[in-house]
Amino acid sequence: METDNVMSVANGEISREIGDINLAYMLLAQKLVKQDRVAAMFRLGVSSELADMLAGMSLAQIVKLAASNFLLCSFRLDEHASMSAVVGEGKDTMLQQAHMSILMSARSLQTRKAAVAA
Amino acid sequence: MTRRSVLGEVREVQLAIQLIQLGARLQFLEAEVGLSRERLIRLYKEIKGVSPPKGLLPFSTDWYMTWLANIHSSMFYNMYQFMKIHSDEEKVWILIKSYKLYLQQIAAQDSEPILDFTRAYTMVRFFDSDMLQLSTCCRCSGQFVAHAHDHKSGYVCVLCRPPSRAGKARGAKRGAAGEATTLGIEGMGFGVEAAPGGAGLH
Repeated sequence: METDNVMSVANGEISREIGDINLAYMLLAQKLVKQDRVAAMFRLGVSSELADMLAGMSLAQIVKLAASNFLLCSFRLDEHASMSAVVGEGKDTMLQQAHMSILMSARSLQTRKAAVAA
Repeated sequence: MTRRSVLGEVREVQLAIQLIQLGARLQFLEAEVGLSRERLIRLYKEIKGVSPPKGLLPFSTDWYMTWLANIHSSMFYNMYQFMKIHSDEEKVWILIKSYKLYLQQIAAQDSEPILDFTRAYTMVRFFDSDMLQLSTCCRCSGQFVAHAHDHKSGYVCVLCRPPSRAGKARGAKRGAAGEATTLGIEGMGFGVEAAPGGAGLH
């Protein structure tokens, strides 16, 4: 009985944390898109349609969307190969950042190509 | 010369100012900005306080293959490609925007930009005239600047397989602290060393 109680408290805390991250993420994403649309698309890795949608969302819509049990953002280096290439052992910070930037942009171009082909 | 509107001229001057601030050379300004050479030189002197440098633009594709230069070039060209696809602005503005994005990225990493504006512009021209290509690394699937017509299969990038001396020399350099002038020479060393290893694998 007691362990169940502890579990549900922990779960509530976790969904609140997820909600916080979602809200922070959505607000940041919207700010970036409003500042510079193309640069934001590059940084966030989103399509132009999604960027326009983000820019047009109201605060109420964002808050509603953020209050969820699921994270709205996901890993962008979603393959083990690229993730391990970037993390590497004892890699210099500058090199790591450079590698990440190259992989991220290649990824967004690939997804675009796939979308065009479909 | 055709008659131009005052507003159009203001726009050209603004473009020239942006380009000069980023470090564009006079040859590039003459090609991209619709202002007379005399006015461009005057503008250059007013902004930079010195006369524009004379001499040729860089003309070798080999520079982009040296170790650190290749990393920075690949970073920039990936950004440029992204911008080119998603932005409907003029080509020169795309170049400016992606170069600024590159500078921001470098500033966030607390390091020095290796690729200057002239090199960046020359690289775009090399790509346009099919002298350079992007090769996909078979380990990390990132895209890297390479000579055109190089083998594309089995290509491993300079980050997944750095040349043997790369890390050590960087450490030594950090010990010496901030000697920007040696950077180019070191980079060249890596490039020369990297070549035989790379050639052996294909």
